[in-house]
Amino acid sequence: MTIMDEAPPITGAITARGVERSFGSVRAVEAANLSVSHGKVTALIGPNGCGKTTLMLMLSGLLRPDAGEITVAGADPRTDAAAVRAAIGWMPDQLGSWDNLTCLQTLTLMGEAYRIPRTAARSRGAALLERVHLGEFANRPARVLSRGQKQRLSLARALVHDPQVLLLDEPANGLDPRSRVDLRLLVRELAAEGRAVLVSSHVLAELDAMVDDAIFMSKGRTLGADAAAMVADARLKYRIDALDPAALRAALIEGGVDFEPTETGAITRIADEANAARALGWLVGRGVEVHRFGPVGSALEQTYMAMNEERR
Amino acid sequence: MSTDVEEQYRATPLSDVPVSPPARRGNPWLPTFRGVRLVTRIELRRRRPSTKGYVFYGIVFAIAVGICILSAVLSPSELSSTNLELALILILGIGTLIAPSLSATAINGDSGEGVLAPLQMTHLTAGDIAIGKLLSSWLVSVAALLALSPFLVFAYLKSGWRIDELALTVLAILFVVLAFTAVGLAWSSIAARAVASVSLAHLTTGFFAIGTLVVYALVGTVVTDTVTQSDRYIDWETLTPEQSEALDDAYMTGDYTALDPNDYQCVDQEWTYGVTQTQKIAWILLLNPVVMIGETAPIVDPETYERDGRAAPGAFATMHSLVAGARLGPLEDVNDYEPFDECAQLFGDGQAVEEQTQEEMEAEWAEQEARSAAYEQQRANLDRAPWLGLAVIGALLMGSTVVVIRRLRVPYKKLRTGTRVA
Repeated sequence: MTIMDEAPPITGAITARGVERSFGSVRAVEAANLSVSHGKVTALIGPNGCGKTTLMLMLSGLLRPDAGEITVAGADPRTDAAAVRAAIGWMPDQLGSWDNLTCLQTLTLMGEAYRIPRTAARSRGAALLERVHLGEFANRPARVLSRGQKQRLSLARALVHDPQVLLLDEPANGLDPRSRVDLRLLVRELAAEGRAVLVSSHVLAELDAMVDDAIFMSKGRTLGADAAAMVADARLKYRIDALDPAALRAALIEGGVDFEPTETGAITRIADEANAARALGWLVGRGVEVHRFGPVGSALEQTYMAMNEERR
Repeated sequence: MSTDVEEQYRATPLSDVPVSPPARRGNPWLPTFRGVRLVTRIELRRRRPSTKGYVFYGIVFAIAVGICILSAVLSPSELSSTNLELALILILGIGTLIAPSLSATAINGDSGEGVLAPLQMTHLTAGDIAIGKLLSSWLVSVAALLALSPFLVFAYLKSGWRIDELALTVLAILFVVLAFTAVGLAWSSIAARAVASVSLAHLTTGFFAIGTLVVYALVGTVVTDTVTQSDRYIDWETLTPEQSEALDDAYMTGDYTALDPNDYQCVDQEWTYGVTQTQKIAWILLLNPVVMIGETAPIVDPETYERDGRAAPGAFATMHSLVAGARLGPLEDVNDYEPFDECAQLFGDGQAVEEQTQEEMEAEWAEQEARSAAYEQQRANLDRAPWLGLAVIGALLMGSTVVVIRRLRVPYKKLRTGTRVA
């Protein structure tokens, strides 16, 4: 991966400013701003129909925005669409495969479509199939694959030309738990190789462990700093449950700690792990019988839910 | 939780093969030789028949060979172009049914299956995908031609056609099939649903094959001149019984001198008929692809075909004659008509027209026959006129291809209504 050898990237691999797109009278994307850096995994999160896929299509150079500016890998899709497409590995949300062709044939032909010589395309295809754990299906036709296996073939297909930018639209759909873990590791690895990864998903708990940044979308708009602040805040939240919630709360009030009371205890904000350890020691030292102490859960999920509540 | 798995995963050796696809600039759309060949290869591989399919094609091929052997045994020994023409029409029919059906689902079908957009993301241009899909659908109908080839070879041997003439007509057929395949592909790039595009593709073919004939017939009524002629007859209504008896007698005997012209009143009788000036609208027939293919077939002279080493005029030669007749226009010159005048015949010079002798009648018949044969010969030998049809087919091919390429270019400005990109 040559990208790592080059000068450290300063500009984002993908930037979008004020991107808009309508289909007839439906405004699919109204105002999208985002920036994705090399070597980072960025999540694109939002409810169904909020414009995620439309935005991804515009970033991938398949759909022309009505307004706004997009730069991918230093190229503008309006003037250099082929360069944009060549730089991108795109995994669509729609599963499609050539049913009569084997997995290896599919990847070889896709590689050839990127003007990679046949032998190189073939060995790359074989390596990719191993990488997505489809090696045993290399010579089986794609129609025998299950949904999750097709999903993995689609991911391998997005990687045949060694793209520096990856757009993954709902990659975890239909994957079994083991495959999700594999996907997460693979995505982290791809980012570690210096690629920029933009991933959209509904499985927020999965994203939490995978992504560096998150971009929230609602009704065709990207939510910028507010949502980012909410995520940062959500990451601080700790849930503390005690056998006697009242005693816990009393201790917290006494210690001058801000908290939100819950039925079984309290939620408070703790900056980092060292502080958390100290806080737990302090509580136990005060005689509070703590039986549960830990991060509240998926920061992305909390933000997502809070966002939806605001909407109601 | 993930660390164990992570370590285990990293322990697996990754045999990553470095690749370096060439860089791209701009947004090229022109077809390239490499790209077209690759798309054609992909499409043909996707359509590769299953074992059942091969068995089916084998049976069709065997039946074709069987029919050939059977007709070789049964058919008369003299030359006949009918079998060859039948085989050619069969190829045209099969080609214009199969290839457009395939191409008419090639773009909207792929888009629905989600396999079109990943291809558009690659270095393949819109031209590569369009031409590749066109060629692959067309090649399937070429395969049908190969399946029927034993029949074609057999029919050719007794057809009185020369090999270059057969090659020309087969090329014309394949060109027509290619054009309608492109039309199917264009409908596929316009219509969102496969049902619509397949129907529209066949309707387009039907319009050119049958619709042109209907239009010809309809427009024919516009260019039909009404010709009025008048003849004179004796007014039988006003005759007394004696007078009409006398007239009957005179007709029987041939002696009209006993009749008094003043007793017989003459009336004019007008009648009209239509003369279609087909030479003005024959070009509509020439738009028809079937006529165009017929026009590429060799000219067979109905008088001299035996000396020329040909078979008697078959379907294509007959079609050529009919079209030539339309191009030449109506035969009779309206001004040549001599009105019939019963009164003048009876009383004009007081003498009835003398009856023709047997020899005179035969001579007149022979002259008429010679005239009609000459006309037949003129029609059969009229220059072949495939050019207009070829131009139309060429325009269909070019136009459809342009439509397809434009509709395949990404980034899309507009989508087929009711569809998504992938």
